[in-house]
Amino acid sequence: MSAAMNTPWDTATSAAMNIAMGASSDTPPGSAPIGAATPGRLSLHGVSKRYPTGTLAVDQVSLSIAPGEVHAIVGENGAGKSTVMKMLYGLEQPSAGDIRLDGRPVRWRTPREAIAAGMGLVPQHVTLVPSFTVAENVVLGQEPRRGPLLDTRVAIEQVAETARRFGLPLDPRTPVSRLSLGEQQAVGLLKALHQGARILMLDEPTAVLAPQQAAALMTALRRYADDGLAVILITHRIAEIREVSDRFTVLRGGRVAGSAATRDVGEAEIAAMVVGRAVVPRRSRPSPASERRTPVLSMRAVAVTDAGGRQTLEDLTLEIAGGEILGIAGVEGNGQGLLADVLAGLVRAERGQVSVDGVPLRGQGDAGIRAARAAGVAALPEDRLHDGVAPDMSITENAIANRHAEPPVVRRGVPGWFGALDLGGAARETARLLRDFGVVAASPEVPIRSLSGGNMQKVVLAREIALAPRLLVASQPTRGVDIGACESLHERLGALRDSGAAVLLISADLDELLALSDRIAVMSHGRLVGHFAAAEVDARRLGLYMTGVCHDPAARADLDAPFTPAEPCSPSASVTPSAPVAPSARSALSAPSTPSAPSTPSAPDEERLP
Amino acid sequence: MTSAAPPAPRASRRAGLTVLLRRVGAGIGTLPLSLAAALLVGFALTALVSDEPLRAWLALLTGPLPEFHLGTQGWELRRVVLFGAAIEDAITLALLGLAIALPFRARQFTLGADGQMFLGALAAVATSLALAAWPAMVVLPASLLAAMLVGGAWGLLPGWMRVRHGASEIVTSLMLNLVAVQLFRLILSEWMSDPGAGFIATPLLPPAASLGALIPGTHVSAMLIAVPLLAWAAQAMLDRTSAGYALRAVGQAPDFARRMGLPVARTVMLSTALGGLFAGLAGLHVSHALLGRLPVDLPAGLGYEGLVVALLARNQPRAIPMAALLYAYLRAGGQAMERGTDVPREMVLVIQALIILFVVSERLWPRLAEALARWRSRRGAPAVETVEPSPGVAT
Repeated sequence: MSAAMNTPWDTATSAAMNIAMGASSDTPPGSAPIGAATPGRLSLHGVSKRYPTGTLAVDQVSLSIAPGEVHAIVGENGAGKSTVMKMLYGLEQPSAGDIRLDGRPVRWRTPREAIAAGMGLVPQHVTLVPSFTVAENVVLGQEPRRGPLLDTRVAIEQVAETARRFGLPLDPRTPVSRLSLGEQQAVGLLKALHQGARILMLDEPTAVLAPQQAAALMTALRRYADDGLAVILITHRIAEIREVSDRFTVLRGGRVAGSAATRDVGEAEIAAMVVGRAVVPRRSRPSPASERRTPVLSMRAVAVTDAGGRQTLEDLTLEIAGGEILGIAGVEGNGQGLLADVLAGLVRAERGQVSVDGVPLRGQGDAGIRAARAAGVAALPEDRLHDGVAPDMSITENAIANRHAEPPVVRRGVPGWFGALDLGGAARETARLLRDFGVVAASPEVPIRSLSGGNMQKVVLAREIALAPRLLVASQPTRGVDIGACESLHERLGALRDSGAAVLLISADLDELLALSDRIAVMSHGRLVGHFAAAEVDARRLGLYMTGVCHDPAARADLDAPFTPAEPCSPSASVTPSAPVAPSARSALSAPSTPSAPSTPSAPDEERLP
Repeated sequence: MTSAAPPAPRASRRAGLTVLLRRVGAGIGTLPLSLAAALLVGFALTALVSDEPLRAWLALLTGPLPEFHLGTQGWELRRVVLFGAAIEDAITLALLGLAIALPFRARQFTLGADGQMFLGALAAVATSLALAAWPAMVVLPASLLAAMLVGGAWGLLPGWMRVRHGASEIVTSLMLNLVAVQLFRLILSEWMSDPGAGFIATPLLPPAASLGALIPGTHVSAMLIAVPLLAWAAQAMLDRTSAGYALRAVGQAPDFARRMGLPVARTVMLSTALGGLFAGLAGLHVSHALLGRLPVDLPAGLGYEGLVVALLARNQPRAIPMAALLYAYLRAGGQAMERGTDVPREMVLVIQALIILFVVSERLWPRLAEALARWRSRRGAPAVETVEPSPGVAT
């Protein structure tokens, strides 16, 4: 990567982009008021989607997005956001109602047709071919050819040109496997833009980003809108709506629950629209002021490299006392996942010691997992659908997974592995858990995949807590979880802490970390780079450590460790290369977030590369 | 009949069709549709090659049925034989289907049923011959046990190699088939052949070891009753025991099962061993009920038919006996068609393949149902939109 390419979302190129796009516009400036006939105006008229199973996912949704506008679509999980997005991208077709582009009804049967019409989608998890370069990934599907072969040189030139025009500092020659998640997302965005998107849809784009990266992305989106693109931002973070959108539409239960110009309403009002009631903002609860206790979890100088070599832990020392929540902040992919795997017993520490209640965790693989569980470790896995549940098995079968061979799930008196399951007992036990945790489900016998993210996570947490763990490792416990369920999960985690268990909370949501944790440690490149009392730190400061701007070389998180001093923040010299966003962080944070008037829309065809 | 019939039946028929479409849309009850579609396409193909397609078609569909009307000569013997052959075949196929389906539920794609069946049969025959002097009460249980143990042990091998060495169970089970079949031939021709047989085969089994026929004139034995019981037992094991729970969890979500601390390795080995056990029983059925001895040239390849049965039953043990019966019936019908009409047997094989293609095209019928429902709603009929709105399961 060249020096100029070290800052994604760099603001410096916006002028160049303005010129490029302004010049390409074939609409006389100011001639077209935003209205039904404006090129690139997308509207939905009473659109419904009913699946063959009878599920009404989207019910009579009408909304409209004009070029120059950032339109946020908000709602809890299961509100229909994703279904609307799928219909706009040709992945699903409406059962009733019209989608209109420039006033003409359109019916896209495949994403290819939607893309040809100017739609662009940046999914939440961008799927790229890891061994391909950025350029190869971006041109995939519409490769420039020389004879039967891919013309690599032209591909690189084209992609570099697009990247320059849209201010995305990515080197087209870099293999995607070397990029961070945030950069991979930028590749997804570049791909959509390269395909000539006039209407850009982003599905919860900030979920994998550090605050500064997220802020920079928002600034970039704002700029694209000002230059004439239409941006649809699917999110459930209210702060983002406030920050970047012109209008927003709230979906609840598949219907439009409200829609307004962003500047007219406050955060509390939006939150109330989303959940259908007023939300009281949570505040950090001070932990009971008791003297230092003996640690439940103790990790001393732990070092490990994962099988793929993508993540490492180096010299990691941390402790958690009973009745304490230690939060781990960090940009995704900096060793948090590996830390969770070590504690769950999947991976054995190569050096150093890990013990729970003084019992060292030994072994790896199946034996290690059983040893960890026997020592009292429970976990909320990060990838809930893959590691946390068996999606096609029933709620009951998922709820009993950690007790499948013992009473009350197995009949008493029948020994061993071929013991008969007490299906009645398991169902009663599950019904009790569902009631306790307020899980909304048709029946305990339906497949767990039919539950919303929040309800599913409640079942997972209920299962893990049922055995009274000594240590709970909660990875992204409320990711993809709606606001109502989020509150209830937070209360449960707090209650578990109060009952004397140790909790390791790994989260990308800094508000969650700050609200729940007693202490917070920041991880970067597999090391601890900061250690704070949660009550004395804020998101901005955590962000500086997460992105590598600041670095505390002596950071440890054992019970006696000192907290990272407030000043001076030592710019990280030893950690190279620093997270790519770092230099632009401050400017991005201070970027104005007030929406400006939409500029002249540009012609779709001219935006594409020659 | 009064002429004042209200339009209600028509409306309810419409509603009934709507319900049907929705069920099909949700993937329920698609097997009969697949069969009907395959038979229709098969009929079209028959019409291309036969001068009297209807008669040929009826031969396929009704050929294996015994005749129940009393003619001048009473029942026709040939028909009972063909009927019996279908049932005998169904028993073998059901056991082989279970042999494939159980490992499959633990996501083990083993193709080793053939080898397990050969060795299971050989072990059963060796036991029966060795205990020839004992009464049936001793010989039969001992032979059963031998078939199950040897089949199970041979089935355990690919599972063990999978968990211990990460070897693909597809490859190892196929290779073990080769080993098993050659081992079978070696043992049989070197140490177990009967010099008086006139061809290379084991001596005839003692009467105490033979499974008697339930239906005279056929080889349909007590295995006909045992197979549904075994299928039921396999289903109960899956649904109602800790081991069965682990087996399903490992198959559906291996990483989840691992993280839950389920004994993944043990479960994988259990699944392939159970498969081998059922294949061993299939071997016993072949030797003790059908043939009465084992020839050295026992045809290999039946194990792969078990794969088809497991597929038809969607790996549900309780559905396997019916799936096996259906498949065996088609095979017998094919024989009837081949013997009694001008249609070559190849056509029957094509139709069998068509049925399988339709069955595995899981999303074909839901898609068609959805398209049809959309077409009806466009014509203003009360289509799928009549359901109670149940929002909130999106995304």
